[in-house]
Amino acid sequence: MIRKLHCLLRLHSPVNRTVYRQRAPTLFSRSYATTDDANRNANADPKSNNKSNKRAGTTSSSKSLPAIRNPFAAAQDKTKNTYLTMVEIFEERDVHRRNHVEFIYAALKHMPDFNVEHDLEVYKALINVMPKGKFIPTNLFQAEFMHYPKQQQCIIDLLEQMEDYGVMPDYEMEAMLLNVFGNKGHPLRKYWRMMYWMPKFKNLSPWPLPDPVPDDTLEIAKLAVERMCTVDLRSKIDVFETREIKDSLDDTWIVSGMSPEQSKLLREHSRQKALYIEGPFNIWIRNRRINYFTLRADADAQFLAQLDERQVDDDDVTQIGVPFFGRAPPRRHNQLGKLRSVHQQDDGTIFAICATGTSTKDSLLSWIRLLEARGYASLGEIPVLFRFTSSVPAKAEEIEGPANMPAQTSDTASSHREEHTETGSRP
Amino acid sequence: MHCLVRQTQRISCWLPVAAKIHTTAVQRTFWEREKKSGYKTKLPEPSKKQLIIDGFRDLKEEMKLWRQEVKEKLESDPILVFRPGETDIVFDFKAPDVLDKWTVTTDADHGEGKSTATLELSAAGAGLFHGDVSSQHTKDGIIKRTGYANIRTKRVRKSFKRESTYDWTQYNMLVMKVRGDGRSYLINLHTEGYFDLMWNDIYHYVLYTRGGPHWQIAKIPFSKFFLSSKGRVQDRQNAIALNCVTHFGFSVAAKKGMDGPFGLEIDYVGLEYDPSHREEFAYEMYKTPKYIVAT
Repeated sequence: MIRKLHCLLRLHSPVNRTVYRQRAPTLFSRSYATTDDANRNANADPKSNNKSNKRAGTTSSSKSLPAIRNPFAAAQDKTKNTYLTMVEIFEERDVHRRNHVEFIYAALKHMPDFNVEHDLEVYKALINVMPKGKFIPTNLFQAEFMHYPKQQQCIIDLLEQMEDYGVMPDYEMEAMLLNVFGNKGHPLRKYWRMMYWMPKFKNLSPWPLPDPVPDDTLEIAKLAVERMCTVDLRSKIDVFETREIKDSLDDTWIVSGMSPEQSKLLREHSRQKALYIEGPFNIWIRNRRINYFTLRADADAQFLAQLDERQVDDDDVTQIGVPFFGRAPPRRHNQLGKLRSVHQQDDGTIFAICATGTSTKDSLLSWIRLLEARGYASLGEIPVLFRFTSSVPAKAEEIEGPANMPAQTSDTASSHREEHTETGSRP
Repeated sequence: MHCLVRQTQRISCWLPVAAKIHTTAVQRTFWEREKKSGYKTKLPEPSKKQLIIDGFRDLKEEMKLWRQEVKEKLESDPILVFRPGETDIVFDFKAPDVLDKWTVTTDADHGEGKSTATLELSAAGAGLFHGDVSSQHTKDGIIKRTGYANIRTKRVRKSFKRESTYDWTQYNMLVMKVRGDGRSYLINLHTEGYFDLMWNDIYHYVLYTRGGPHWQIAKIPFSKFFLSSKGRVQDRQNAIALNCVTHFGFSVAAKKGMDGPFGLEIDYVGLEYDPSHREEFAYEMYKTPKYIVAT
């Protein structure tokens, strides 16, 4: 009956966890050495250590228990080696490995401190703490009623933490779990689910990214601009240095993305119509966020309307032109020729995308000058407007740069004017 | 990824040991009282007089809807030909009063987190779902992880507040015109059933956004959607029943250190029939061992 309830409910193993979750196992009733000297002692002579511990436990009354402390919190040197050494010490300390569930919970909790939360080896070391063969059910009733529930739940939580951090288990882990819980164990069920779904989702993204993402901002900026430029496969990414420009205040890099189609559009852009530098907008590269700016103009309404004329509504039967009786056949405009580029969006034409090292107005000005020097001479004649849309006022000020910065430039004919709109209108 | 929306499970089970002290009410049965699974906030009930006034006001609207339904029934002119390559728009953000059709929820609604979110119209005239997700949570010892924001359409209904479902059986693709920020979003197709076991059935798939200033058209076959309930992917999977869809929505989570602002601009969500897509269900259906699956 209970089994049927299970099926009906579709209860997954993690649903059962609530009862055990409420106890936060952070404290230990026993202490063991964490410093290097003590480690050596413990490694050298674990038995004597145990004996002394036991003696201490037996001689002293229950009131004077050994000092309670958490070895993971007390560790001086927070590295993977220390972490694994502590697991080893725990394994060798006592033949019964008492409190191993609490130990594993504490170890899981402190993984990010040791920077090992993405390391499969560490998870395996923790599973290895469990005794082999002791928790395998020997009859039907044990198998059905979650034999050794606390231990099973502990390993389920460990697997869940792996899942949360995106660590995929391997077949060795399956063998380890089989040795501990047998093939009816709930952790095994969790493991099999993970091995079914995780590979399916792992490489699903159409824009693959390195894992982990590099720490260098320039590298992230390159990744971000590359990703945004996948909209046009002919796009080219350039990395400029602002020191090429004489008057630039900031000494930084600029990652600029532009395609031949965009440069054609920019060359053909009317000198009378302004260009806008807009930003900063956010783009996420895994868990890193980076600001980018766009160079765009308002949509060419005339051109877009021209394209719309081509589209005859086939469903509209109210006006059917009859090409007989002396009337000229209906002419459709622009049947050959002009195609709409992907950069000519309904809400504007996008000419280029950039990310700069400082995200200041000065660096953006340098970007325009660098583009100007690279064959877009018309940029010197077209008015370029800055339109900063940061929802954080401090950020807008930061972009704006120092107040005494020359906004008007004498050597170029372009008129640089700034506008402030404090409303974030785009992601 | 498949545990994006994770709530604390409020079902306590038949494991009586060690569970002596509780700060919250514990349900010892699998029966669920209402569809919110304990998250229902009690709103103050209006006065009897107000209820009558509201009732009559609603009646007018409902009669209008009903008249429309009867007219459609008598005309009996349903769309029978779904031409391939044509997108039929279901949720259009350029339509008037579109924002009233959506509900925004975050983890902060029940004091379980600090995320914020709003849905509004953007400068481009599309819907902009934006805000800030944060994985910080109140340390009450029950909630383990949090940080999500979510939008969902209201339950589709007929006149006189009778619940109904969408019928999308003629289509096999979900088409969306969106502009994101590089984050991945979760597309949720709720297929709420009659029994309490099926109240939380949601089919999910991921919407990867490119980011950047260009719009992006995402075409996702319905065969790729997988079933989950209360944020847990289910063992017994099957393809989505497209005549049972009750809600549609998007979720975003602060997983893996992605705390911070998000923004998804949605122009429309539509449906398409693509005859070249023959797949029925994207996930292989192994014969699973008895008594192991779904436990």
